[in-house]
Amino acid sequence: MAAKINVLLVDDSRTVLAQLERILGDLDGVAIVGMERNGAAAIRVACESLPDLILMDIVMPGLDGLSALRTIKSLNPGIQIAMVSSVSGDPAKAEEAFRLGACQVLGKPFDLDLIESLIQTVRETRLENATENE
Amino acid sequence: MGVKFFGQFLIDSSEVDASHVREALELMDHENRPLGQIAIAEGFMQQRQVVRVNAEQRNRDLSFGDLAVDMGLLRSEELVTILKVQRTTRLPIGQALVRLGHVASDRLGVLLDSYKTDQAQYDVAMMDLPNGLVSHRVSHYVIDLFPRFMLRVARMKVKVGEVKDFDQEPEFREIAVSVPIQGARGLEVALVCDLEFGEALAMAASGLDRGDLNPEMVADAVGEFLNVLCGNAAGAVAKEGHPVELGPPDYEAELCDGWMIELAVGIGRAALVLSTF
Repeated sequence: MAAKINVLLVDDSRTVLAQLERILGDLDGVAIVGMERNGAAAIRVACESLPDLILMDIVMPGLDGLSALRTIKSLNPGIQIAMVSSVSGDPAKAEEAFRLGACQVLGKPFDLDLIESLIQTVRETRLENATENE
Repeated sequence: MGVKFFGQFLIDSSEVDASHVREALELMDHENRPLGQIAIAEGFMQQRQVVRVNAEQRNRDLSFGDLAVDMGLLRSEELVTILKVQRTTRLPIGQALVRLGHVASDRLGVLLDSYKTDQAQYDVAMMDLPNGLVSHRVSHYVIDLFPRFMLRVARMKVKVGEVKDFDQEPEFREIAVSVPIQGARGLEVALVCDLEFGEALAMAASGLDRGDLNPEMVADAVGEFLNVLCGNAAGAVAKEGHPVELGPPDYEAELCDGWMIELAVGIGRAALVLSTF
């Protein structure tokens, strides 16, 4: 059986973390390796647990999501990071996220099909990388 | 779901991937001149004046053009001219993707039409609002999108009532959360409700049972709903060319002035309070 996709969730809202935990819990082959509430904690846990995917809010108090995205991508470029945000419709915010290396920008309210498709893409990327390394 | 920009729509529709959008953004960065450079090319400003405006932007929350006019370095009619030049010469993301070969040129029109259809659900009409709010574009979005997002996020039907001057706190206040939308003119959006409404919203949004909720979770859910509502409103006005910034929620909002909009919510009681700053 294929190894699970390890996902780290980062959002200052407990409601959003609960929502994402429920959505991802319904998908096969996904394991949540952590739930953090700010960018600094996200950087620390990402470096420790090296997840396949991070779903991270853009607007958070303290170190925001875009700053954390920049740092995590510079330390671990292989980690896929999708930003989740209610302000994703703002071209400046979404464009900045893509420039910094986000693999996707998901709006709120969440679109379940998009999240499922994102997990599938991450799974395929991991398979491709494994094949290349053989 | 939600307000999105064209590049994101194309990724969501599996037309391109993030690396294509990134390439297109790099091309746009290379081709699209900032307003200051256009002002220099048109002979309206000098390089050192542009540098002064850029430096001042670190202290003041104004766009380059508005700040240059405010500092007396650019005339209003010159600003209109350079904005027009910027608009007409700007390479949009769709064209950038075509130029890079990631989208076929004969497909771009179809995709733009699909995008407009997808986003039409977030169009709002100008409403009949009090003088202090009528020119505040984002307030139209907040009020108009409120029932749509309540239905989508919490599956709750809501009717938006009359906009009245705020004179006193509603007697049902048990939770009051506000979110600031900062821009050329700021708007503070507060959602005031009783516990019954807050719990219904929290259960629907988080999927948790009432027994798993605590007061912090309920306030958090109300704040997150406001965040989604205001974020989409902010995204919509940003797409119209009015950049705004969303601040984090204040879970103990102070309500003292502005306007109150009564909401017929079915479960419990709630109202929106808008104030400008």
